[in-house]
Amino acid sequence: MKFTIYQESRTGKRANNEDRLAHCYSRDSLLMVIADGMGGHYYGEVAAQIAVQTLTQAFQREFQTRIRDPFMFLQKEMLNAHRGILDFAGKHHLLDSPRTTCVACIIQNNIAYWAHSGDSRLYLLRKGKVLAQTRDHSRVRLLLDKGTITVEEAATHPDRNKIYGCLGGQQNPEIEFSRKMTLEAADVLVLCTDGAWNELPDDVLAAALKTTNLSAAVPTLLSQAEGRSGPHADNLSMIAVRWEDTYVDRSSGSSSLISTKSMPRDTVATQMDEFGRKPGHKTELTEAEIELAIEEIRSTIQKYSK
Amino acid sequence: MVQQANHALPVAFQLDEYRIEHQLSLGGFSIVYVATDSQGTQVAIKEYLPNTLALRGEGGISPIITEEHLPAFRYGMKCFFEEGRALAGLSHPNVIRVLNFFRANDTVYMVMEYEHGCTLQELIQTNRPGVTENFIRNVFTKMLNGLREVHSHRLLHLDLKPSNIYMRNKHVPVLIDFGAARQTLACDTPMLKPMYTPGFASPEHYNQRELLGPWSDIYSVGASMYACIAASTPQPADARLDKDHLPPAMVRWEGLYSDQLLETIDWCLCLNHRYRPQSVFALQKALTEPVVAAPKMISEPDVEQPLLKENWFDQMVGKLKKSRNQ
Repeated sequence: MKFTIYQESRTGKRANNEDRLAHCYSRDSLLMVIADGMGGHYYGEVAAQIAVQTLTQAFQREFQTRIRDPFMFLQKEMLNAHRGILDFAGKHHLLDSPRTTCVACIIQNNIAYWAHSGDSRLYLLRKGKVLAQTRDHSRVRLLLDKGTITVEEAATHPDRNKIYGCLGGQQNPEIEFSRKMTLEAADVLVLCTDGAWNELPDDVLAAALKTTNLSAAVPTLLSQAEGRSGPHADNLSMIAVRWEDTYVDRSSGSSSLISTKSMPRDTVATQMDEFGRKPGHKTELTEAEIELAIEEIRSTIQKYSK
Repeated sequence: MVQQANHALPVAFQLDEYRIEHQLSLGGFSIVYVATDSQGTQVAIKEYLPNTLALRGEGGISPIITEEHLPAFRYGMKCFFEEGRALAGLSHPNVIRVLNFFRANDTVYMVMEYEHGCTLQELIQTNRPGVTENFIRNVFTKMLNGLREVHSHRLLHLDLKPSNIYMRNKHVPVLIDFGAARQTLACDTPMLKPMYTPGFASPEHYNQRELLGPWSDIYSVGASMYACIAASTPQPADARLDKDHLPPAMVRWEGLYSDQLLETIDWCLCLNHRYRPQSVFALQKALTEPVVAAPKMISEPDVEQPLLKENWFDQMVGKLKKSRNQ
């Protein structure tokens, strides 16, 4: 396999980033996953982390040359993540279970398979156009399909954040699968959370990602989206992969091109941001931390005043 | 964001075991009060109250903090704790003492010793003729004892200036306001701008914060000495980097103060941090070195000038020799 890939997640103007994303690949398969922990529900970020971790860990376990049935894999692991989240809620006696969206994609043998739950999206771009995309499990999407509202109305609809398919929560998650999509060289697959796609029309996204330089295009897109969402920008995350011709042995000149041909059979490369808030960006002190800091200062004062 | 002035707690307000007497100062980050404790001893109480994040209206007690600002408010609290931690571990006659630290009214308070006096800033403004060579050497050598203690705890003050040097009984310099102090290794806050005062902050303060070190506080000491003599704030370091209009102390006050003192001030004010005294100790040594030539009076410039030049030259040669021998 040959591809270039770039992923980035931003906090926006929120206090905390509840998006999680990762990709990993072995010699013959590539997995990408994004989860958007739902705000308003406690521990949204934990739910997102459980989802991403469950899928990447399963991939690392089952990568033995290639995954036998990618759709089966996606279904099984997304359900596992859902149960993992419920277990977490049970173990910590949470009144309500945390929830997260999830979109995941596997590419192997030049074929892409994806599944999603909620309103995190996947786009397949070919020649600067959107060839396929996921359909959000959201109220607004339903209304749009019924023709009750227009695209313009949807953008400002009060219920646009209401989604019905997600991992965690009381009901079994709605998981929707793609068809098998055979990839062509220069196809781009994009996974992103609503913070990113909300402000990026399909054509803008498709045009911007026509380039081979994803590590420049993705940050630019995210900055655009962040800028447009103003002072309350949501978390925004994006993974973009540009597929290159597997069977042509010709370097495209891009230094960031990954070729898995030379990888040993028994390894998996994983890129996942560390769990938890980045220490440098930690914003909130908990009650306990405040008490601890005061206690510490008081005891130092005591020590030195004698 | 609209900048709002916060209202101080009312006079006679009972805050924990302290009774508020009056407001001492109001800053963007905090309010300082004079209060009395249960024994009737006067103390200074600093209240964490960043005016961009927390608002106390007239007659209010607990500040109003919106949901949106709460994380930043809590984050800023960390800096306030940092100041408390920095001071609590320091026990030195030239550094302000912290007596207590507590939580009330949804915010935090730091209780410090309070003694009569005034800041160096007020002192030099009200007593211009008092700013003699001896006065400067005396005040800064003592103040540097305190700064040495600060640096020995791996802390930097980072906001040294005449208004942050309190003259206890108008006599003993005490370092106050460690609001900008940081553990040298602790990373910076992303949400609150680093605090510094233009004119006194070193060039590193502006854009190369990874280079901050004892030499950065030393730049501020140099700028403070310069400001004492000039009775005005020196040109800010960022502007100096662009175009340096700051006349060297040596040029500006030659003959009024000893060359050695003026050279020392210029030494501290070097834009390149490596050319400054690298430790407080090195600076103190320079300030306590016996002066070779007594300061000349400006009244007889024509007669004295050649001699003075010679002295200056001798000193330079002497210095070069010394440095070669090292």
